[in-house]
Amino acid sequence: MTTVTEQPPSRAARIAGWFTPSIALARIAWLRTILYLFVILDMHAFVRDTRLKGEHPDLYQPLLLARIFHLPVPSVANTTALYVVLIVACLIGATNYFPRVAGWIVAPAFTWWVLIGMSDGKVDHDHLALVVALWVLPTVSGARRGASAYGDQTRSEAAGWAVRCVQISVIATYFLSWVAKVRSPGWKLLSWPNSAILTWAIVRRPHPVGEWLLLHPWLLQVMQWVGFVAEFLSPVILWLKGRWQLLGALFFIGFHVANTAILLIHFLPTVVCWLAFAPLERIVPFVRRKLHRDPGQAEDQAEDRGQAEQQAGA
Amino acid sequence: MTNGDRRLGRAGKTIRVAVAVVGIGLLINGSARASDDAWPFGPMSQYAGSVADDAEVTFTRITAQTDAGTSVDVPLNIEGAGVARAEIEARTGEIVKNPALLQQVADGWAKKHPDQPKYLKLELIRDTTKLVGGRVVGPPTPEVLATWQVRR
Repeated sequence: MTTVTEQPPSRAARIAGWFTPSIALARIAWLRTILYLFVILDMHAFVRDTRLKGEHPDLYQPLLLARIFHLPVPSVANTTALYVVLIVACLIGATNYFPRVAGWIVAPAFTWWVLIGMSDGKVDHDHLALVVALWVLPTVSGARRGASAYGDQTRSEAAGWAVRCVQISVIATYFLSWVAKVRSPGWKLLSWPNSAILTWAIVRRPHPVGEWLLLHPWLLQVMQWVGFVAEFLSPVILWLKGRWQLLGALFFIGFHVANTAILLIHFLPTVVCWLAFAPLERIVPFVRRKLHRDPGQAEDQAEDRGQAEQQAGA
Repeated sequence: MTNGDRRLGRAGKTIRVAVAVVGIGLLINGSARASDDAWPFGPMSQYAGSVADDAEVTFTRITAQTDAGTSVDVPLNIEGAGVARAEIEARTGEIVKNPALLQQVADGWAKKHPDQPKYLKLELIRDTTKLVGGRVVGPPTPEVLATWQVRR
């Protein structure tokens, strides 16, 4: 890593630069609001049995992290406290006032919430990106407070790192699913896509769409191949740009729609984190251009006026 | 419109890159070697199993005889008996060894549905469906794995 600007950056500097792109702080503000509100939804719709586990600790089997940190066995008192703390901290964080303090409370609290929710012999794999997002969001400093944060075009490498971590976690969810599919049959590459896994899944969770598909096992196998190849290729999306990246994102969102129809598994906690790829920082300037024709109020006066003149001349 | 880029200092950048690289390393290690226990660094093993096209597909359920004289399938979800089917399946072995674990299914139901018929006797049943050439042949065969007389 050299400080002489004339020389091309070293390989180490290029790699470090990839992990820390400059991204507008507005994207962090949007992600804070969306993800902290999503956590509240998650606590009621997805990982929603944590408080119940406080009432019935008999089935509690602490996971590795809970054992390492000697987390207490869930009880009515501690799961209720966790619930209240999470709701309050998420609501504060979502406003973009004191988002770092709130964020540093939400990250460990929600991680513990999910740890309890999954400490009963069954672990879901849809929370990686969301949990990572909650841990990296509070590391971003220097954002504006409240509503003005959504339009803050100040570009920050700290923001870029947080966004990159979420993007990597989203993609890791797919790529590592591919790894698991190769590992599960004893590191055999092509065993999974040729197997009867989707038939198995539908027999165990019957529903009308699935029962029709059971009559066409070849179709299920085609779907297995599409998913298998897509999960293997998913890391490419990290290096795609613009429309191609959008296309990749839309493909995987379609993949989740199909999974929801066939397996009744929605993976929404991962889907919402796809927003880390979206240029959310453009929302405010876009809305201003479209709606605010009053140039006195807009911060980007010149641009607004130019736009208005163009539209008047059109 | 921009106030200039906020760049990271050398230390801040180094730490962040290191954290990201270590995190990726932990994820790869977990996927290659660990189990679900290592969440969130465990393998993404949902539906990763490879099922032979002549396999037997098993499905575990609980039926109950109620004090209204009926026999019902216990709804294995949070709103029903307060326990998810996946939890019961993950712990089938333990329940077979110690059927008293089924007591909390009855307790959960009674607590959530005080005005509905109570469970008197619970049976843990495994349905087996046979696949031939990847196709389902015939209806499932049930087998009772554990029985529990509910304590009142």
